Amino acid sequence: MTAANQLYSVFRNLVISNSNPTNVRTLFTATTRFREVVDRKEMLKTVPKLDEGTQGEQSVDIDYSMNKHELFPTIDTPNKLFNGVPFKDIPVFNIRVSKNNTILSLTDAKGTPKLIRSCGIEGFKNTRKGTNIAAQATAITIGSKAFEQGYKTVRVRVRGLGPGRMAAIKGLQMTGLQIISITDSTRVSWTPPRPRKQRKL
Amino acid sequence: MTLKHASFIARTVFVKNNDVEAACRVLNRILGREDILDQFRRTRYFEKPFQFRRRINFEKCKSIYNEDMDRKIQFVLRKNRTDPFPGSS
Repeated sequence: MTAANQLYSVFRNLVISNSNPTNVRTLFTATTRFREVVDRKEMLKTVPKLDEGTQGEQSVDIDYSMNKHELFPTIDTPNKLFNGVPFKDIPVFNIRVSKNNTILSLTDAKGTPKLIRSCGIEGFKNTRKGTNIAAQATAITIGSKAFEQGYKTVRVRVRGLGPGRMAAIKGLQMTGLQIISITDSTRVSWTPPRPRKQRKL
Repeated sequence: MTLKHASFIARTVFVKNNDVEAACRVLNRILGREDILDQFRRTRYFEKPFQFRRRINFEKCKSIYNEDMDRKIQFVLRKNRTDPFPGSS
């Protein structure tokens, strides 16, 4: 009984100290109604969709201004010069994106790793790893480090879908690196081995 | 070098005038159109046979509907009339 009284007095104090000088307990009538989940499926519909870094996927507009011949590689592309270096010898930024993390690594044209950085190394832990902010921060860190080491022009290769997909590329650009091409190397198979079973929602 | 899916030839877009976002959008649109992203999402988890059946049936119906609707629109928009804009002159 005493414990209940104590709890009540604490609660009253809380209420009074918050914003109620008139000594009247506020009644919350609406909150319970809003909190109540009517249907799980309907609730899931209202939840905003996860950003997968695929802006422009659904758009149907045609951009006539872009010169198609300069936008896409040709058979001569590997030997084309960019700042005096052929395309095939330009270092590559590999961005590995997943739902929960983003890993960036810089390799030379042969594939030897030079720098590596992920959202986890950057200091973001748990769910925060899988955000676009974390990806951008990581990209800025590794990008500026690469810039200091003398990498000026890079190719970018992205793998996977996730919140960090666009953010990482933007972050790299913000550091002053010149990105000459973006390649998607997401592994897609039309005859894959059996994937894991579906999540229960 | 096999040219069929050579890396940095296939699924590659050049960045023009440092406009990374536009290049990404072009790439994403192509990947979306070619069903690559959808297939990637579909293969994250196993698609049960009933889901496969339902999806295929839905796609069939959708393509039939789209084809019919296209024909209808073309019919309405046909322009080989003697007076192209009747009643306007």
